[in-house]
Amino acid sequence: MNKNIYKPIEAVVEDIITESQTIKTFTLRPKENFSFRTGQFIELTLPGIGEAPFTPSSDPNVKDKIDVTIMNAGSVTSLLHNIPKNSSLGIRGPYGKGYPLEKFHGKDVLIVGGGVGLAPLRSLVLSLFGQIDKYKKLVLRYGARTGGDLIYKDAIPEWSRKPKVDLVTTVDVGDPSWKGHVGLVTTILEDLPVNLGNAVGIVCGPPIMMKFVTMKLLDVGFKPKDIYLSMEKNMSCGLGKCGHCRLGSYYTCKDGPVFTYEEVKDLHDIWD
Amino acid sequence: MYNIYFAKTEQLESFAKELKKLARVFAPLAKDAQSPKQTDYLYQRLCEDTALAFNPYRTVEPLKSFFTYKYEKVADYFNSAKNLTDITEKTVIFGVKSCDIAGHKIQDFVFLEGVEVDSLYRARRENTIIISGDCTDFKEVCHCLAWEIMPFPSAGFDLNLSPLNDGFIVEVGSKKGQELVNQHKDYFTPVKDTQIAGRNAKRQSILDRLKRHLLFQNLVSKDQVQNLIREGFSLDTWKEFMLNCVECGGCNFICDTCHCFLLADSSQKQQQNGKLRLWDSCQYKNYARVAGGANPQKTRAARLRFRFTKKFDFFVDNLGAPACCGCGRCIEVCPGKIDIREVLKDLANKLKKQQ
Ligand code: SF4
Ligand code: SF4
Ligand code: FES
Repeated sequence: MNKNIYKPIEAVVEDIITESQTIKTFTLRPKENFSFRTGQFIELTLPGIGEAPFTPSSDPNVKDKIDVTIMNAGSVTSLLHNIPKNSSLGIRGPYGKGYPLEKFHGKDVLIVGGGVGLAPLRSLVLSLFGQIDKYKKLVLRYGARTGGDLIYKDAIPEWSRKPKVDLVTTVDVGDPSWKGHVGLVTTILEDLPVNLGNAVGIVCGPPIMMKFVTMKLLDVGFKPKDIYLSMEKNMSCGLGKCGHCRLGSYYTCKDGPVFTYEEVKDLHDIWD
Repeated sequence: MYNIYFAKTEQLESFAKELKKLARVFAPLAKDAQSPKQTDYLYQRLCEDTALAFNPYRTVEPLKSFFTYKYEKVADYFNSAKNLTDITEKTVIFGVKSCDIAGHKIQDFVFLEGVEVDSLYRARRENTIIISGDCTDFKEVCHCLAWEIMPFPSAGFDLNLSPLNDGFIVEVGSKKGQELVNQHKDYFTPVKDTQIAGRNAKRQSILDRLKRHLLFQNLVSKDQVQNLIREGFSLDTWKEFMLNCVECGGCNFICDTCHCFLLADSSQKQQQNGKLRLWDSCQYKNYARVAGGANPQKTRAARLRFRFTKKFDFFVDNLGAPACCGCGRCIEVCPGKIDIREVLKDLANKLKKQQ
């Protein structure tokens, strides 16, 4: 009855994987029951220091552990990057609506990720794999700045071998060791192997990347209502109370963070 | 329908004294008792011998300051079993005005509704008795009527006081209010028709005076305002008015309807280890800044507009009414003399010129 909505529950850091120079994945084991739907986010507390929002990158069907992939980008995240295994962190949530998976049933699902934006998409990909017969096809397009910035290096080849999966990666800047595609992620969105009348596009990455990918998808024939975007806003409470994440007449934390382009296209400054 | 009573001035005084035994009692105190119709009123906790004063208009502090605080701990970390919601104190607040009650609906909407209830807020709300009063005067900045809010409340209080020459009409507005009267029967008598007529005459008089005061100001109306804000998004109004903004956040902190806060963590070295909640201001530069550094509200003009779109677009969409109660507090507090009435009027004028 008197639940305190600001109180985090304890989670222990069980494992830390270095994904790239600036990105690490932390495996957390919550000490109380905790579950989430793919696309929902959590607030992670570093006790005595601060809190920041992250979308788990693990399969939501795994109940006892959560992976959180974190880029070293701000004051809290840089300190998180330095914590040792077995540290205690706090988690609150899950918050927001997550991906409406039912709406993707029977369709070609295009997933476009940029940089650390692949983190929430990994959780999505894993939950789609869990019920792959419900979807026609999974088309994955992933771009990173350089080969060294690619995350989930072990998982990606494994995903691409799965049935129904069509996966292409690209880097903005190539180097001698990189054998794949070179160019911005928009350059691998030509001639997509999807049936446009029956496809959805899901995009997650830095705002500028989402902007250009969205324009590209509209260009190739996706409808605004079939493009799903993860909006990044400054979230604090996660509960629709603190005001920080307001986007027009929405709160990103509770009405999102996933919106269709249709829902946000007429709002001002959505890519800022 | 609830009951309505009369209490003589001395009876109300004694009632307030009784209340002090049951709860913390706050009432407005005149800054300058010599000029009760010009001075400001500030809330003060009544002690043994402070007398109850009747404020003719709203206090300086917003009503919200009894329910969320500028800076407070709202949760312990997981290592503590203590529940902070269990330690709220019984509180009685005199001197609340109609605008405060209207503004407080916004706070209730934010903290009591939506995805989850803030149980700390709810506990304070449940433990608080609101004793409001009719306005018998107004400040220059008062413009409740522009938002169709009357200068006397008709709901949202536990008890409401309407002053007459020798005492007060006491209108009950809730079960809590009725219980309080029942427990203190001796201080209340049945109201007479002549007293009700007296209240009506006084109410009509303040209404007429306030209407006259607002008439020549030509204020933007409740049903126009959302359109105005939407259509005025790209006007120069924002750039022009922001020139004087020093980003103090005063307009937000003093506002009855502003509710933004920041959750922070107190340092492990301090005893207060846990989650802190601090009032926040959308006029601060980093209000909307994300971890990567992007900031959709980079300029003061964008932030001024953000404050207005929140009040007059977001809340109209989400609650069906603008989030301003016309209390004028933000006008009085602003060191840059930015006047919410003038900003809205400027938008309206500029749009008219464009047509
Ligand atoms: S915006 Fe200004 S006038 Fe309106 S409720 Fe807030 S402080 Fe009062
Ligand atoms: S009170 Fe005035 S100066 Fe201070 S933040 Fe508000 S608009 Fe700016
Ligand atoms: S994060 Fe607080 S309202 Fe959305």
